[in-house]
Amino acid sequence: MSELVALHTQALAEPLASMHLRLLGRALEAGRLNKGFPDRRALAGTLKALAGDAHHGLYEQVFVDSRTGLPNLASLTRVLADREVGVETLRALDDQAALDERRGEAEVFERLARKRRYYELLSTMELAPVDRHRVWLRRHEPGQSRASFRVELTKLSASGCYVHLVVELTQTASLWAQTLVSVDAAGEVAQGTEALRGIVYRFADFDAETLFIRLHELEGVSVERVQRGVIGPALWAIPVGGRLHHVAEPGDDALARTWSAWLPGAAGAAPHLVVGLASDTAANDVREESSNDPLMPLLADNLTEAERARYSILRARHPFRVYKDRKFVVTGSARPLVEGVCSAAGTRNLIYELTS
Amino acid sequence: MADSKLNLGALEKQVAYSGEGISVRSLEEDIAKERTTQNTKVEELKVLRERNVEIQSALAEEVGKLRKFSDYLDGTATTGGFWAGFKEIVSHIPGFRNIAISKRSIEELLKQQYQISSRRVKEAAEYVDTLKRSEQDLYKEIDRINGKIIEMAKNEAMAVDYVLELKGLVDAMEAEKQAAEAGSVAYRDLEAKQDKARALLAQHSGNLQLYSAAEDRYVSLKDNTRKLVETIRNLGQDIQLYTTAAAIKLDMASGQIQAIGTAADASVVMLELKRSLDVMTESMNATTQFVSDTQVFFRRNLDGLIKELETFDENTTKMLDANLAESRKIEDERIAAAIAKAQKHKAEHPSAEKSPAV
Repeated sequence: MSELVALHTQALAEPLASMHLRLLGRALEAGRLNKGFPDRRALAGTLKALAGDAHHGLYEQVFVDSRTGLPNLASLTRVLADREVGVETLRALDDQAALDERRGEAEVFERLARKRRYYELLSTMELAPVDRHRVWLRRHEPGQSRASFRVELTKLSASGCYVHLVVELTQTASLWAQTLVSVDAAGEVAQGTEALRGIVYRFADFDAETLFIRLHELEGVSVERVQRGVIGPALWAIPVGGRLHHVAEPGDDALARTWSAWLPGAAGAAPHLVVGLASDTAANDVREESSNDPLMPLLADNLTEAERARYSILRARHPFRVYKDRKFVVTGSARPLVEGVCSAAGTRNLIYELTS
Repeated sequence: MADSKLNLGALEKQVAYSGEGISVRSLEEDIAKERTTQNTKVEELKVLRERNVEIQSALAEEVGKLRKFSDYLDGTATTGGFWAGFKEIVSHIPGFRNIAISKRSIEELLKQQYQISSRRVKEAAEYVDTLKRSEQDLYKEIDRINGKIIEMAKNEAMAVDYVLELKGLVDAMEAEKQAAEAGSVAYRDLEAKQDKARALLAQHSGNLQLYSAAEDRYVSLKDNTRKLVETIRNLGQDIQLYTTAAAIKLDMASGQIQAIGTAADASVVMLELKRSLDVMTESMNATTQFVSDTQVFFRRNLDGLIKELETFDENTTKMLDANLAESRKIEDERIAAAIAKAQKHKAEHPSAEKSPAV
């Protein structure tokens, strides 16, 4: 019911799949995600569309990332492709009443009746993209050949987490500078170049300061802010049919290790869940450099003496400061676990508890 | 006439064929209607087959590209070394051939490819249900045709019975006519009834032929419909097998796609770093070469340069010496002129040499 079937891929069968998806949906709602995170409604839409009561049993299982517990590339793509194909199919299908009437005739009509309901539902839903890249023009000063932009990228990262990245930068045109963003003739619409898209996409999995430095060092580019909001990982365990199903590859950070040690002794008929919601900002207007993330200390704190010296020279060239934070959504049973990890790291984190 | 043994009830018999009355025209219309249904399905099937061939070949291509990545991951696809294999693989990605290797994220491109392939599988899978629905519709059609066949068979049997009955009556009348006096009232009465019986016989013999022909044509129609159903079912099963296998492959490959995409992007970052180092090395080489060349130049030419410098100094000195000698000469001449002038003045005014006593 929760087998590991491929690389970082865990297949959840019903009813476990729907239970897990509902639990994740509730956690997202409880997490009070701001605009620095991926759009909650879209992700909640995908979770809902993947559940059994949305597709009416058309699918037997849902694939989640075995490290993060979130729907993986196959699952995100499944509902997106179904929605696209569904638009065409709905045009060709008989109406719902006609299909319902023929349900008893053959299995195919019963199936088509369910499929029509599923496609109708999908057509009304907002779904999470596998990735979405957008560029907004903030300010344009043609006299100075200068323009400020906001670049946004949402993507399912290779780590299995769902990431939203915001970069605010100013670009001054010069002979030597590589153009990252182009503005249309009216000076109103901005479009990121392949170069910008490529850099941001590749570095989205790294922390904010790495991308800040990478972009800021480009000729003619001045970065003001890089902000990342990360949903996941979600450590989960759900008892079904007398067996405790759980996240198969929970990772190796302090929380995952604590979770793995705690889980065998965790009892009860209720599910257990810990969802991490991390934010990471490198910006000019951050007052004090610090990390309130128990799982992600500042880079400077992780370096050897020799590297730290080199790093301080690098940082001296750039005006930003870094702030990292992480909040959690937990079931009551897992709360002491998270509190223990935060306490050990010396951080004070928001912990939202899911009420049953 | 009172002792006649003829059963004349057959002449007044109401023969009730089931269904609508049959005629050559109505039979043709009915068959044409059934054929239209069949032709519609055949046309649908043609479109489906063409579209299916299109989708399946596109799908095979898309999945093939993804398999190349998978093979690449397994290390089975790169005979020409890392970069040769890598370039060969990325050349399959739409839009990749025309852009510099460092521009687009390979992870992003792979995900796009994955989404295209998934959509293709879904499109193909949609045809399974369409074909199953057609199959069911045709089974329903076969049921209807079977109903018609039974109806035609019953009517045929009914027509056979009636035609035989009429034939018997006509023959019996003929026998009685032989016994009757020619031209008598009884003879004329038998003749009139025989004409009526012959007319009924002609009408129902026609019906018999029509019902028999209709039955045969419906049987043939049913056979064709059954073949069509089998074709549709086989096509549906083929598509289902293919799309199920492709969907499983895609489901299982998603983790690999992301992993290899990220790895490829990391490789590109490394390539960029290498390029940057190459440029730096090139600059250093150029600078070193310049320094080296300059040094060799000086080494080769320094003596000459110094010599040139010395030659210059010697000439200047000579020139200065000449100038100085010239100046001294002029100065000496001026002094000599002044002395001569003074001596001349003294000679002309000797008293002026004595000073008054004080």
